[in-house]
Amino acid sequence: MPLGPLAKWLLLAPAVALLLVLFLTPVGWFISASLMELGSWQDIWDEVAAVMGTGVIVRSIINTNGISLAVTLLTLVIGYPVAYAMTRARGLTFTLILVCVVLPYFTSTIVRTYAWMVILGRNGIINQLLLGMGLVDEPLQLMYNRLGVLIGMTYVLLPYMVLTLFATMKSVDGRLLQAAAGMGARPMTIFTRVFFPLTFHGVMAGSLIVYILAMGFFITPALMGGPDDLMMAMLIEREVELSHNWPVAAIMTIILLVITLSLYAVYTRFSDSSEERLA
Amino acid sequence: MKGTIGQSKVSRRNFLVGAGTLLAAPYVLKGKALAAGQVVVRTPGGAYDDIMRKFVYDPFTAETGIQVVPVAATVSKLLAMFKANNVEIDLIDTGEGPLITLSRMGALAPIEYDKWTWSRPEDVAPEYRRPDTVANFVYSSVLAFNTETFPGDNHPKNWVDFWDAEKFPGPRMLTDMAAGSPSLEFALLAAGVKKEDLYPIDIDRAFKMLTELRPHIRKFWDSGAVSAQLLSDKEVVMGCIWNGRLQTIIEKGAPLNYVWDGNMIQVQALGIFKDSPNRAAAQRLVDFMTQPDVQAKYVAALRYGPTNLKAFDHISADLLEMMPGGPKSRELGFVQNTEWWEDNRDKVNRVWSRWILG
Repeated sequence: MPLGPLAKWLLLAPAVALLLVLFLTPVGWFISASLMELGSWQDIWDEVAAVMGTGVIVRSIINTNGISLAVTLLTLVIGYPVAYAMTRARGLTFTLILVCVVLPYFTSTIVRTYAWMVILGRNGIINQLLLGMGLVDEPLQLMYNRLGVLIGMTYVLLPYMVLTLFATMKSVDGRLLQAAAGMGARPMTIFTRVFFPLTFHGVMAGSLIVYILAMGFFITPALMGGPDDLMMAMLIEREVELSHNWPVAAIMTIILLVITLSLYAVYTRFSDSSEERLA
Repeated sequence: MKGTIGQSKVSRRNFLVGAGTLLAAPYVLKGKALAAGQVVVRTPGGAYDDIMRKFVYDPFTAETGIQVVPVAATVSKLLAMFKANNVEIDLIDTGEGPLITLSRMGALAPIEYDKWTWSRPEDVAPEYRRPDTVANFVYSSVLAFNTETFPGDNHPKNWVDFWDAEKFPGPRMLTDMAAGSPSLEFALLAAGVKKEDLYPIDIDRAFKMLTELRPHIRKFWDSGAVSAQLLSDKEVVMGCIWNGRLQTIIEKGAPLNYVWDGNMIQVQALGIFKDSPNRAAAQRLVDFMTQPDVQAKYVAALRYGPTNLKAFDHISADLLEMMPGGPKSRELGFVQNTEWWEDNRDKVNRVWSRWILG
């Protein structure tokens, strides 16, 4: 049943009100109050130039995007087969996979990150195992570097990818695959020519969700990363909590917001076009 | 109404009445607490609250009838409260640095030293007393090392040794900017600067020293929990760490020890919001918390040190040995200059970011 424009807006109203009260107003207050501390537009512009000028923010933007991209690819490579297995699984197996994917969500990120320290540490389980089997002579450096950040973040963000992909794969019409098989296509061809293209918009959607969430991470890189794994959120946190330099924090926030919203624009384009295709 | 709940047939009316009561409860309860008086205190949270409740808050309530409500709040939340003109906290219990920030913004009320009845202001060491803040305990950053890696007397004894990676090899840790301040003081001590001449800190020289040691530093820690984890997992074999955290893991059996040489005493303090709704009660709690026997109890439990020098009379000799701000710690260490850090934190933060990415 198509909805009239009024009904559409009425249904949206609670969500819009929530966003307005809990997100847009505080962010707006923070940014305007902070920037007003600086005074004129000229002063604000000078501060923006100063922030961009040091190169620190540029380096951290590169870091943030580099890490986010790597994490997105890792979740995709790991998540795609898992999501596929979920669409094939029935009964207990399905429940088991689902529980394994979702269960970590019942513990806080900090607890999960500390759990990784126990596993990946110099004297952690993995290193003990490798040393015990004589595969390595001295402990591998698995965390407090970029590798640690990638492992930790991939783990935290994997469920978003798996669940998004699962939703897409579930809606693929199985008869199309049967038809392809019936016409003599080999499994690999069915996958590359039929199944993957049909799930591609799910891949895009999942990737963008993971990417955008990864952009704002800071607990995991702070705990599991090395000194130079500095992400934008960490930089902003320091300006707010330590330097109490809110104007600079506000400027950095705007930069992060602009990057994230641009990506979101890409995201909506992809989800829109997929709707058109279906229509 | 028999069986209504059991059969979960709660009527709409009953539900509304119940929900209304629940929603109104905090206000009714709050009204009651206000009648008897209350103080809302910002605290570091966790085990700290339990210890303070036992030795300070409950005895205070017993004596005055004033309830103490500890709440968690970050420094930025305190700043936001003040800036938005919506102060919901009376007493702030936090590092001296953030309190000086608030003080400079004009957010704090003067401490009414002249009205104290439990404590005598002159018993509090002068460097721990300011017009609108008073320190409630001190803690120390000490040089800790692993006793399995460095058994017997063959261990780093000061920051010069700490910087000597040939004589004392192995991964190390120091503080990250995000912990409040990077370890610039220790870097300068390693360079041979006398502890009396540390401030004003020569930032460039300190960072040069950090650059030298950087290949041997596994992690710059940003929270007490991480530092304790790194040492007890033997992820690092030496590092600077807050003495309270270190003491806790040593008591749990970690093979660690420390030296007092070059320990940095850091100050935790109390401040009262100028616009606080319960200012008078907050003033009384500050007075109560500072008295010698009360301070002696909570600092001993927290493994920190007192600011009221008379509190040392209530502390046993062997505890005194391991007490930050105690005779040994004061003789061999120095007090971190919070004013310098407040003036320069923004600048150091910028240099740090460039250095860490460079």
